[in-house]
Amino acid sequence: MLEMIDVSKTYPGGNVALRNINVRIEQGEFVFIVGPSGAGKSTFIKMLFREILPTSGSIRLNDVDILNLTAKEVPYLRRQLGIIFQDYRLLPDRTVYDNVAFAMQVIEAPYRKIKRRVMNVLDLVGLRRRAYSKPNELSGGEQQRIAIARAIVNSPSLVIADEPTGNLDPETSMEIMEIFQEINNTGTTIIMATHDKEIVDSMGKRVIAIEHGEIVRDELNGVYGYESEQ
Amino acid sequence: MSLSSKEYFVRETGKSIKRNGIMSIASVSTVAVSLLVLGIFLLMYLNTDNLAKYLEGQVEMTVYLEDTATGEEVADMREKLKKMEGVVQVTEITKAMAMERFKNRLGDQATLLKALGKDNPFPFSFEVQVDRPERIKALVSQVEHWPKVETAKFGQEVVEHLFALTRVMRIGGAVLIVFLCFATLFIIINTIRLTVFARRREVVIMKYVGATDWFIRWPFMLEGMTLGLGGGIIACAVVDLIYVSLSGRLHTTFAFFPVLPSWPTLLYADIFILACGTLIGALGSYLSLKKFLRV
Repeated sequence: MLEMIDVSKTYPGGNVALRNINVRIEQGEFVFIVGPSGAGKSTFIKMLFREILPTSGSIRLNDVDILNLTAKEVPYLRRQLGIIFQDYRLLPDRTVYDNVAFAMQVIEAPYRKIKRRVMNVLDLVGLRRRAYSKPNELSGGEQQRIAIARAIVNSPSLVIADEPTGNLDPETSMEIMEIFQEINNTGTTIIMATHDKEIVDSMGKRVIAIEHGEIVRDELNGVYGYESEQ
Repeated sequence: MSLSSKEYFVRETGKSIKRNGIMSIASVSTVAVSLLVLGIFLLMYLNTDNLAKYLEGQVEMTVYLEDTATGEEVADMREKLKKMEGVVQVTEITKAMAMERFKNRLGDQATLLKALGKDNPFPFSFEVQVDRPERIKALVSQVEHWPKVETAKFGQEVVEHLFALTRVMRIGGAVLIVFLCFATLFIIINTIRLTVFARRREVVIMKYVGATDWFIRWPFMLEGMTLGLGGGIIACAVVDLIYVSLSGRLHTTFAFFPVLPSWPTLLYADIFILACGTLIGALGSYLSLKKFLRV
Protein backbone atom coordinates (compact mmCIF):
# COMPACT_ATOMS: atom_id res chain seq x y z
CA MET A 1 0.00 0.00 0.00
CA LEU A 2 2.92 2.34 0.70
CA GLU A 3 6.03 2.53 -1.39
CA MET A 4 8.94 4.96 -1.06
CA ILE A 5 11.44 4.91 -3.90
CA ASP A 6 14.83 6.67 -3.62
CA VAL A 7 13.40 9.29 -1.32
CA SER A 8 15.86 11.93 -0.13
CA LYS A 9 15.33 15.11 1.80
CA THR A 10 17.81 17.94 2.16
CA TYR A 11 16.63 20.90 4.19
CA PRO A 12 17.45 24.43 3.07
CA GLY A 13 20.90 25.07 4.48
CA GLY A 14 22.23 21.69 3.36
CA ASN A 15 21.16 19.54 6.31
CA VAL A 16 20.51 16.06 4.88
CA ALA A 17 17.60 14.45 6.75
CA LEU A 18 16.99 11.38 4.59
CA ARG A 19 19.11 9.70 1.92
CA ASN A 20 17.86 7.20 -0.70
CA ILE A 21 15.10 5.66 1.33
CA ASN A 22 13.47 2.61 -0.27
CA VAL A 23 10.62 1.05 1.67
CA ARG A 24 7.59 -1.04 0.83
CA ILE A 25 4.84 -1.56 3.38
CA GLU A 26 1.86 -3.83 2.70
CA GLN A 27 -1.74 -3.34 3.72
CA GLY A 28 -2.30 -4.57 7.29
CA GLU A 29 1.32 -4.35 8.43
CA PHE A 30 2.37 -2.90 11.79
CA VAL A 31 5.71 -1.15 11.45
CA PHE A 32 7.90 0.60 14.02
CA ILE A 33 10.29 3.32 12.90
CA VAL A 34 13.16 3.54 15.39
CA GLY A 35 16.47 5.34 15.61
CA PRO A 36 18.31 7.94 17.65
CA SER A 37 17.03 11.52 17.94
CA GLY A 38 17.73 13.52 14.81
CA ALA A 39 18.12 10.39 12.66
CA GLY A 40 15.29 11.42 10.34
CA LYS A 41 12.31 9.58 11.86
CA SER A 42 10.20 12.70 12.08
CA THR A 43 10.96 13.71 8.52
CA PHE A 44 10.06 10.20 7.40
CA ILE A 45 6.70 10.35 9.20
CA LYS A 46 5.83 13.87 8.06
CA MET A 47 6.43 12.96 4.43
CA LEU A 48 3.72 10.35 4.63
CA PHE A 49 1.01 12.95 5.11
CA ARG A 50 2.71 15.49 2.92
CA GLU A 51 3.60 18.00 5.56
CA ILE A 52 7.16 17.81 4.23
CA LEU A 53 7.96 17.22 0.58
CA PRO A 54 11.07 15.19 -0.29
CA THR A 55 13.82 16.75 -2.40
CA SER A 56 13.79 13.75 -4.73
CA GLY A 57 12.21 10.32 -5.10
CA SER A 58 8.60 9.24 -5.11
CA ILE A 59 6.05 8.15 -2.51
CA ARG A 60 3.10 6.03 -3.59
CA LEU A 61 0.14 5.46 -1.32
CA ASN A 62 -2.54 3.06 -2.57
CA ASP A 63 -1.05 3.46 -6.06
CA VAL A 64 -1.26 7.26 -6.02
CA ASP A 65 1.93 9.28 -6.21
CA ILE A 66 1.28 11.66 -3.35
CA LEU A 67 3.98 14.05 -4.52
CA ASN A 68 2.00 14.78 -7.67
CA LEU A 69 -1.08 15.87 -5.76
CA THR A 70 -2.21 19.47 -6.08
CA ALA A 71 -2.80 21.51 -2.94
CA LYS A 72 -6.54 20.93 -3.46
CA GLU A 73 -6.09 17.15 -3.46
CA VAL A 74 -4.03 16.95 -0.27
CA PRO A 75 -7.09 17.04 2.05
CA TYR A 76 -8.47 13.98 0.29
CA LEU A 77 -5.16 12.16 0.79
CA ARG A 78 -5.32 12.96 4.49
CA ARG A 79 -8.82 11.56 4.78
CA GLN A 80 -7.31 8.14 4.09
CA LEU A 81 -4.87 8.66 6.96
CA GLY A 82 -5.17 8.85 10.72
CA ILE A 83 -2.46 10.94 12.31
CA ILE A 84 -1.51 10.75 16.00
CA PHE A 85 1.03 12.96 17.77
CA GLN A 86 2.97 12.75 20.99
CA ASP A 87 1.21 15.84 22.39
CA TYR A 88 -2.34 14.60 21.50
CA ARG A 89 -3.35 17.93 19.87
CA LEU A 90 -6.85 18.03 21.31
CA LEU A 91 -9.20 21.01 21.51
CA PRO A 92 -9.37 21.82 25.24
CA ASP A 93 -12.67 23.73 25.07
CA ARG A 94 -14.59 20.79 23.61
CA THR A 95 -15.80 17.54 25.07
CA VAL A 96 -14.29 14.17 24.26
CA TYR A 97 -17.23 13.49 21.98
CA ASP A 98 -16.84 16.82 20.16
CA ASN A 99 -13.12 16.32 19.71
CA VAL A 100 -13.73 13.05 17.91
CA ALA A 101 -16.83 14.23 16.05
CA PHE A 102 -14.86 17.25 14.84
CA ALA A 103 -12.85 15.06 12.48
CA MET A 104 -16.07 13.90 10.84
CA GLN A 105 -17.72 17.32 10.82
CA VAL A 106 -14.89 18.95 8.94
CA ILE A 107 -15.08 16.43 6.14
CA GLU A 108 -18.83 17.07 6.09
CA ALA A 109 -20.05 13.65 7.13
CA PRO A 110 -23.82 13.35 7.61
CA TYR A 111 -24.94 14.21 11.13
CA ARG A 112 -26.66 10.89 11.94
CA LYS A 113 -23.66 8.91 10.83
CA ILE A 114 -21.38 11.02 13.03
CA LYS A 115 -23.16 10.18 16.27
CA ARG A 116 -23.21 6.44 15.71
CA ARG A 117 -19.63 6.23 14.49
CA VAL A 118 -18.16 8.42 17.25
CA MET A 119 -19.82 6.32 19.94
CA ASN A 120 -18.50 3.12 18.35
CA VAL A 121 -14.98 4.47 18.24
CA LEU A 122 -15.16 5.73 21.83
CA ASP A 123 -16.24 2.22 22.78
CA LEU A 124 -13.20 0.82 21.05
CA VAL A 125 -10.80 3.06 22.98
CA GLY A 126 -12.78 2.59 26.22
CA LEU A 127 -13.94 6.19 26.65
CA ARG A 128 -17.66 5.94 26.05
CA ARG A 129 -18.42 6.80 29.66
CA ARG A 130 -16.23 9.91 29.49
CA ALA A 131 -17.77 11.18 26.25
CA TYR A 132 -18.97 14.43 27.81
CA SER A 133 -15.87 15.26 29.86
CA LYS A 134 -13.35 17.87 28.78
CA PRO A 135 -9.87 16.59 27.83
CA ASN A 136 -8.14 18.30 30.76
CA GLU A 137 -10.32 16.33 33.20
CA LEU A 138 -8.73 13.17 31.87
CA SER A 139 -5.33 11.51 32.33
CA GLY A 140 -2.59 11.60 29.69
CA GLY A 141 -3.35 8.07 28.60
CA GLU A 142 -7.03 8.87 28.23
CA GLN A 143 -6.21 11.99 26.25
CA GLN A 144 -4.09 9.96 23.86
CA ARG A 145 -7.01 7.59 23.46
CA ILE A 146 -9.18 10.52 22.39
CA ALA A 147 -6.55 11.36 19.79
CA ILE A 148 -6.53 7.75 18.60
CA ALA A 149 -10.32 7.74 18.41
CA ARG A 150 -10.19 10.93 16.36
CA ALA A 151 -7.55 9.43 14.05
CA ILE A 152 -9.55 6.31 13.26
CA VAL A 153 -13.06 7.75 13.23
CA ASN A 154 -12.97 8.28 9.47
CA SER A 155 -11.80 4.66 8.94
CA PRO A 156 -8.37 5.42 7.47
CA SER A 157 -6.42 2.74 5.66
CA LEU A 158 -3.18 3.91 7.28
CA VAL A 159 -2.60 5.18 10.81
CA ILE A 160 0.56 7.21 11.33
CA ALA A 161 1.70 7.76 14.91
CA ASP A 162 4.64 9.95 15.89
CA GLU A 163 5.86 8.97 19.38
CA PRO A 164 2.32 8.30 20.66
CA THR A 165 3.55 7.01 24.03
CA GLY A 166 6.29 9.59 24.49
CA ASN A 167 4.49 11.33 27.33
CA LEU A 168 3.07 8.24 29.03
CA ASP A 169 4.22 5.87 31.76
CA PRO A 170 5.08 2.26 30.76
CA GLU A 171 1.85 0.73 32.00
CA THR A 172 -0.34 3.25 30.20
CA SER A 173 1.84 2.88 27.11
CA MET A 174 1.11 -0.84 27.00
CA GLU A 175 -2.63 -0.13 27.23
CA ILE A 176 -2.34 2.27 24.33
CA MET A 177 -0.45 -0.35 22.33
CA GLU A 178 -3.25 -2.82 22.92
CA ILE A 179 -5.60 -0.37 21.26
CA PHE A 180 -3.24 -0.01 18.32
CA GLN A 181 -3.09 -3.80 18.07
CA GLU A 182 -6.88 -3.94 17.97
CA ILE A 183 -6.96 -1.34 15.21
CA ASN A 184 -4.31 -3.30 13.32
CA ASN A 185 -6.40 -6.46 13.71
CA THR A 186 -9.14 -4.86 11.61
CA GLY A 187 -6.70 -4.62 8.70
CA THR A 188 -5.56 -1.04 9.19
CA THR A 189 -1.88 -0.46 8.46
CA ILE A 190 0.05 1.20 11.30
CA ILE A 191 3.35 3.07 11.05
CA MET A 192 4.69 4.29 14.36
CA ALA A 193 7.83 6.21 15.19
CA THR A 194 8.92 5.52 18.73
CA HIS A 195 11.70 5.65 21.29
CA ASP A 196 10.03 3.10 23.51
CA LYS A 197 12.29 0.00 23.73
CA GLU A 198 9.91 -1.98 25.90
CA ILE A 199 7.06 -1.60 23.48
CA VAL A 200 9.02 -2.48 20.38
CA ASP A 201 10.63 -5.48 22.01
CA SER A 202 7.39 -6.83 23.41
CA MET A 203 5.26 -6.40 20.29
CA GLY A 204 7.48 -8.36 17.91
CA LYS A 205 6.58 -6.35 14.80
CA ARG A 206 8.48 -5.21 11.76
CA VAL A 207 11.15 -2.68 12.75
CA ILE A 208 12.81 -0.16 10.44
CA ALA A 209 15.81 1.58 11.98
CA ILE A 210 16.99 4.90 10.61
CA GLU A 211 20.40 6.41 11.40
CA HIS A 212 21.91 9.51 9.82
CA GLY A 213 19.10 9.59 7.29
CA GLU A 214 19.55 6.05 6.03
CA ILE A 215 17.78 2.79 6.70
CA VAL A 216 20.27 0.61 8.55
CA ARG A 217 17.97 -2.24 9.52
CA ASP A 218 14.61 -3.57 8.35
CA GLU A 219 13.52 -6.75 10.13
CA LEU A 220 10.29 -8.64 10.62
CA ASN A 221 9.82 -9.52 14.29
CA GLY A 222 12.49 -6.94 15.05
CA VAL A 223 13.72 -5.44 18.30
CA TYR A 224 14.45 -1.87 19.34
CA GLY A 225 18.20 -2.46 19.22
CA TYR A 226 19.32 0.66 21.12
CA GLU A 227 19.90 1.29 24.79
CA SER A 228 16.69 2.53 26.39
CA GLU A 229 16.67 6.32 26.61
CA GLN A 230 14.11 6.47 29.36
CA MET B 1 -22.19 22.04 1.34
CA SER B 2 -24.52 20.29 3.76
CA LEU B 3 -26.94 21.95 6.14
CA SER B 4 -24.99 20.88 9.20
CA SER B 5 -21.87 22.49 7.72
CA LYS B 6 -23.70 25.78 7.25
CA GLU B 7 -24.92 25.63 10.83
CA TYR B 8 -21.40 24.92 11.90
CA PHE B 9 -20.05 27.96 10.03
CA VAL B 10 -22.63 30.32 11.46
CA ARG B 11 -22.13 29.01 14.99
CA GLU B 12 -18.36 29.32 14.74
CA THR B 13 -18.63 32.85 13.38
CA GLY B 14 -20.91 33.97 16.19
CA LYS B 15 -18.70 32.42 18.85
CA SER B 16 -15.61 34.01 17.43
CA ILE B 17 -17.02 37.54 17.19
CA LYS B 18 -18.19 37.28 20.80
CA ARG B 19 -14.85 35.92 21.96
CA ASN B 20 -13.03 38.84 20.29
CA GLY B 21 -15.52 41.34 21.75
CA ILE B 22 -13.41 44.49 22.05
CA MET B 23 -11.38 43.82 18.94
CA SER B 24 -14.56 43.21 16.98
CA ILE B 25 -16.02 46.51 18.14
CA ALA B 26 -12.77 48.29 17.32
CA SER B 27 -12.65 46.91 13.82
CA VAL B 28 -16.32 47.59 13.12
CA SER B 29 -15.79 51.22 14.20
CA THR B 30 -12.66 51.63 12.09
CA VAL B 31 -14.38 50.16 9.10
CA ALA B 32 -17.35 52.46 9.76
CA VAL B 33 -15.17 55.59 9.88
CA SER B 34 -13.29 54.68 6.70
CA LEU B 35 -16.47 53.86 4.83
CA LEU B 36 -18.09 57.03 6.14
CA VAL B 37 -15.35 59.18 4.61
CA LEU B 38 -15.54 57.11 1.47
CA GLY B 39 -19.30 57.59 1.27
CA ILE B 40 -19.17 61.34 1.83
CA PHE B 41 -16.51 61.70 -0.80
CA LEU B 42 -18.50 59.62 -3.23
CA LEU B 43 -21.57 61.83 -2.79
CA MET B 44 -19.53 65.02 -3.16
CA TYR B 45 -18.06 63.70 -6.35
CA LEU B 46 -21.41 62.58 -7.76
CA ASN B 47 -22.92 65.99 -7.08
CA THR B 48 -20.09 68.01 -8.60
CA ASP B 49 -20.13 65.78 -11.63
CA ASN B 50 -23.87 66.16 -11.90
CA LEU B 51 -23.63 69.93 -11.65
CA ALA B 52 -20.99 70.09 -14.36
CA LYS B 53 -23.01 67.83 -16.66
CA TYR B 54 -26.13 69.83 -15.97
CA LEU B 55 -24.41 73.04 -16.96
CA GLU B 56 -22.64 71.52 -19.93
CA GLY B 57 -25.82 69.98 -21.25
CA GLN B 58 -27.11 73.50 -21.68
CA VAL B 59 -25.63 74.41 -25.03
CA GLU B 60 -27.50 77.57 -24.74
CA MET B 61 -26.90 81.24 -24.59
CA THR B 62 -29.31 83.73 -23.20
CA VAL B 63 -29.72 87.07 -24.91
CA TYR B 64 -31.21 89.71 -22.63
CA LEU B 65 -32.91 92.66 -24.30
CA GLU B 66 -33.24 96.19 -23.07
CA ASP B 67 -36.71 97.10 -21.85
CA THR B 68 -36.94 99.74 -24.60
CA ALA B 69 -36.98 97.21 -27.44
CA THR B 70 -40.23 97.37 -29.45
CA GLY B 71 -42.25 94.40 -30.66
CA GLU B 72 -40.95 94.89 -34.19
CA GLU B 73 -37.35 94.97 -33.05
CA VAL B 74 -37.91 91.78 -31.06
CA ALA B 75 -39.40 90.00 -34.07
CA ASP B 76 -36.50 91.15 -36.30
CA MET B 77 -34.00 89.94 -33.82
CA ARG B 78 -35.68 86.53 -33.55
CA GLU B 79 -35.46 86.08 -37.31
CA LYS B 80 -31.83 87.16 -37.32
CA LEU B 81 -30.96 84.71 -34.54
CA LYS B 82 -32.72 81.87 -36.28
CA LYS B 83 -30.67 82.38 -39.42
CA MET B 84 -27.32 82.22 -37.62
CA GLU B 85 -25.21 79.15 -38.22
CA GLY B 86 -25.57 76.40 -35.62
CA VAL B 87 -28.68 77.81 -34.02
CA VAL B 88 -31.22 75.05 -33.43
CA GLN B 89 -33.97 76.75 -31.58
CA VAL B 90 -34.89 80.17 -30.33
CA THR B 91 -37.30 80.49 -27.43
CA GLU B 92 -38.80 83.77 -26.29
CA ILE B 93 -38.99 84.33 -22.57
CA THR B 94 -41.25 87.26 -21.81
CA LYS B 95 -40.85 89.32 -18.67
CA ALA B 96 -43.88 87.60 -17.11
CA MET B 97 -42.54 84.13 -17.94
CA ALA B 98 -39.19 84.97 -16.38
CA MET B 99 -40.91 86.11 -13.22
CA GLU B 100 -43.00 82.93 -13.07
CA ARG B 101 -39.92 80.73 -13.48
CA PHE B 102 -38.10 82.44 -10.69
CA LYS B 103 -41.11 82.03 -8.45
CA ASN B 104 -41.09 78.29 -9.12
CA ARG B 105 -37.40 77.96 -8.38
CA LEU B 106 -37.75 79.73 -5.08
CA GLY B 107 -40.49 77.33 -4.04
CA ASP B 108 -41.43 77.92 -0.42
CA GLN B 109 -39.68 81.25 -0.39
CA ALA B 110 -41.67 82.71 -3.30
CA THR B 111 -43.37 85.00 -0.84
CA LEU B 112 -40.19 87.08 -0.84
CA LEU B 113 -41.20 88.34 -4.29
CA LYS B 114 -44.17 90.13 -2.80
CA ALA B 115 -41.73 92.83 -1.76
CA LEU B 116 -41.35 93.72 -5.44
CA GLY B 117 -44.98 94.80 -5.67
CA LYS B 118 -46.07 95.27 -9.27
CA ASP B 119 -42.55 95.81 -10.60
CA ASN B 120 -41.05 93.12 -12.76
CA PRO B 121 -37.26 93.49 -12.80
CA PHE B 122 -36.73 90.59 -15.22
CA PRO B 123 -35.78 91.54 -18.77
CA PHE B 124 -37.23 90.05 -21.94
CA SER B 125 -34.87 87.38 -23.27
CA PHE B 126 -34.19 84.83 -25.99
CA GLU B 127 -32.91 81.40 -25.07
CA VAL B 128 -30.87 80.24 -28.02
CA GLN B 129 -30.10 76.54 -28.35
CA VAL B 130 -26.97 75.76 -30.32
CA ASP B 131 -26.00 72.43 -31.86
CA ARG B 132 -22.47 72.30 -30.41
CA PRO B 133 -21.07 73.88 -27.23
CA GLU B 134 -17.94 75.12 -29.10
CA ARG B 135 -19.98 77.55 -31.22
CA ILE B 136 -21.31 79.45 -28.28
CA LYS B 137 -18.31 81.68 -27.64
CA ALA B 138 -18.31 83.14 -31.19
CA LEU B 139 -22.07 83.63 -31.23
CA VAL B 140 -22.05 85.41 -27.93
CA SER B 141 -19.39 87.92 -28.95
CA GLN B 142 -21.37 88.69 -32.14
CA VAL B 143 -24.79 89.09 -30.59
CA GLU B 144 -23.50 91.15 -27.68
CA HIS B 145 -22.94 94.14 -30.00
CA TRP B 146 -26.39 94.24 -31.57
CA PRO B 147 -28.52 97.27 -30.74
CA LYS B 148 -31.09 96.86 -27.92
CA VAL B 149 -29.17 93.83 -26.60
CA GLU B 150 -28.28 94.34 -22.98
CA THR B 151 -26.04 91.32 -22.60
CA ALA B 152 -25.53 87.78 -23.93
CA LYS B 153 -24.40 85.06 -21.52
CA PHE B 154 -23.43 81.44 -21.56
CA GLY B 155 -22.40 78.90 -18.89
CA GLN B 156 -19.31 77.53 -20.59
CA GLU B 157 -16.70 79.16 -18.35
CA VAL B 158 -18.35 77.78 -15.25
CA VAL B 159 -18.55 74.39 -16.89
CA GLU B 160 -14.85 74.38 -17.66
CA HIS B 161 -14.01 75.21 -14.07
CA LEU B 162 -16.34 72.56 -12.80
CA PHE B 163 -14.87 69.91 -15.04
CA ALA B 164 -11.42 70.81 -13.83
CA LEU B 165 -12.76 70.37 -10.31
CA THR B 166 -14.36 66.99 -11.03
CA ARG B 167 -11.10 65.82 -12.60
CA VAL B 168 -9.23 66.73 -9.44
CA MET B 169 -11.94 65.09 -7.34
CA ARG B 170 -11.88 61.98 -9.45
CA ILE B 171 -8.10 61.52 -9.09
CA GLY B 172 -7.97 62.72 -5.48
CA GLY B 173 -11.00 60.62 -4.66
CA ALA B 174 -9.53 57.52 -6.21
CA VAL B 175 -6.30 57.99 -4.27
CA LEU B 176 -8.19 58.62 -1.05
CA ILE B 177 -10.48 55.66 -1.58
CA VAL B 178 -7.58 53.33 -2.30
CA PHE B 179 -5.80 54.60 0.79
CA LEU B 180 -8.86 54.16 2.99
CA CYS B 181 -9.53 50.71 1.59
CA PHE B 182 -6.00 49.69 2.48
CA ALA B 183 -6.32 51.07 5.99
CA THR B 184 -9.60 49.21 6.45
CA LEU B 185 -8.14 46.07 4.98
CA PHE B 186 -5.23 46.28 7.39
CA ILE B 187 -7.54 46.54 10.39
CA ILE B 188 -9.63 43.59 9.25
CA ILE B 189 -6.53 41.50 8.58
CA ASN B 190 -5.32 42.15 12.10
CA THR B 191 -8.63 41.33 13.74
CA ILE B 192 -9.04 38.12 11.82
CA ARG B 193 -5.42 37.23 12.51
CA LEU B 194 -6.22 37.38 16.23
CA THR B 195 -9.14 35.04 15.65
CA VAL B 196 -7.09 32.67 13.59
CA PHE B 197 -4.32 32.79 16.15
CA ALA B 198 -6.75 31.97 18.94
CA ARG B 199 -7.92 29.02 16.91
CA ARG B 200 -4.69 27.93 15.27
CA ARG B 201 -4.83 24.51 16.97
CA GLU B 202 -8.19 23.91 15.41
CA VAL B 203 -6.92 25.01 12.02
CA VAL B 204 -3.95 22.64 12.22
CA ILE B 205 -6.10 19.73 13.35
CA MET B 206 -8.57 20.45 10.58
CA LYS B 207 -5.72 20.30 8.09
CA TYR B 208 -4.53 16.96 9.49
CA VAL B 209 -7.91 15.29 9.37
CA GLY B 210 -8.43 16.38 5.78
CA ALA B 211 -10.67 19.45 5.85
CA THR B 212 -10.48 21.39 2.61
CA ASP B 213 -9.04 24.90 2.72
CA TRP B 214 -12.42 26.40 1.90
CA PHE B 215 -14.09 24.52 4.73
CA ILE B 216 -11.53 25.97 7.12
CA ARG B 217 -11.80 29.40 5.58
CA TRP B 218 -15.56 29.88 5.66
CA PRO B 219 -16.08 30.74 9.34
CA PHE B 220 -13.24 33.26 9.20
CA MET B 221 -14.49 34.73 5.94
CA LEU B 222 -17.96 35.05 7.44
CA GLU B 223 -16.50 36.78 10.46
CA GLY B 224 -14.59 39.27 8.30
CA MET B 225 -17.61 39.88 6.13
CA THR B 226 -19.82 40.40 9.17
CA LEU B 227 -17.39 42.95 10.61
CA GLY B 228 -17.16 44.73 7.24
CA LEU B 229 -20.91 44.70 6.76
CA GLY B 230 -21.46 45.94 10.33
CA GLY B 231 -19.12 48.87 9.73
CA GLY B 232 -20.84 49.48 6.40
CA ILE B 233 -24.31 49.64 7.97
CA ILE B 234 -23.16 52.23 10.51
CA ALA B 235 -21.45 54.25 7.78
CA CYS B 236 -24.58 54.11 5.61
CA ALA B 237 -26.80 55.33 8.43
CA VAL B 238 -24.53 58.30 9.14
CA VAL B 239 -23.97 59.15 5.46
CA ASP B 240 -27.72 59.04 4.75
CA LEU B 241 -28.48 61.22 7.72
CA ILE B 242 -25.86 63.80 6.74
CA TYR B 243 -26.93 63.85 3.11
CA VAL B 244 -30.63 64.22 3.76
CA SER B 245 -30.19 67.09 6.20
CA LEU B 246 -27.47 68.79 4.14
CA SER B 247 -29.24 68.55 0.80
CA GLY B 248 -32.36 70.02 2.37
CA ARG B 249 -30.36 72.94 3.68
CA LEU B 250 -28.51 73.42 0.37
CA HIS B 251 -31.82 73.58 -1.41
CA THR B 252 -33.11 76.39 0.75
CA THR B 253 -29.83 78.34 0.62
CA PHE B 254 -28.92 77.94 -3.03
CA ALA B 255 -32.14 77.59 -4.94
CA PHE B 256 -30.34 77.04 -8.24
CA PHE B 257 -27.97 74.30 -7.16
CA PRO B 258 -29.11 71.02 -8.69
CA VAL B 259 -28.53 68.66 -5.72
CA LEU B 260 -29.00 64.99 -6.61
CA PRO B 261 -32.20 63.73 -4.96
CA SER B 262 -31.81 61.40 -1.94
CA TRP B 263 -33.69 58.71 -3.82
CA PRO B 264 -32.14 56.87 -5.59
CA THR B 265 -28.71 58.48 -5.09
CA LEU B 266 -28.42 57.26 -1.51
CA LEU B 267 -29.50 53.79 -2.52
CA TYR B 268 -26.56 53.56 -4.90
CA ALA B 269 -24.17 55.06 -2.36
CA ASP B 270 -25.39 52.63 0.34
CA ILE B 271 -25.02 49.62 -1.92
CA PHE B 272 -21.52 50.77 -2.80
CA ILE B 273 -20.56 51.26 0.85
CA LEU B 274 -22.01 47.93 1.99
CA ALA B 275 -20.39 46.08 -0.89
CA CYS B 276 -17.05 47.73 -0.14
CA GLY B 277 -17.26 46.80 3.54
CA THR B 278 -18.21 43.20 2.90
CA LEU B 279 -15.63 42.77 0.18
CA ILE B 280 -12.85 44.24 2.26
CA GLY B 281 -13.89 42.00 5.15
CA ALA B 282 -13.75 38.92 2.95
CA LEU B 283 -10.43 39.89 1.40
CA GLY B 284 -8.91 40.67 4.79
CA SER B 285 -9.86 37.25 6.15
CA TYR B 286 -8.60 35.52 3.07
CA LEU B 287 -5.24 37.23 3.31
CA SER B 288 -4.75 36.70 7.03
CA LEU B 289 -5.54 33.00 6.70
CA LYS B 290 -3.10 32.37 3.90
CA LYS B 291 -0.13 31.75 6.14
CA PHE B 292 -1.99 29.47 8.53
CA LEU B 293 -3.31 27.22 5.83
CA ARG B 294 0.13 26.27 4.61
CA VAL B 295 0.39 23.07 6.68
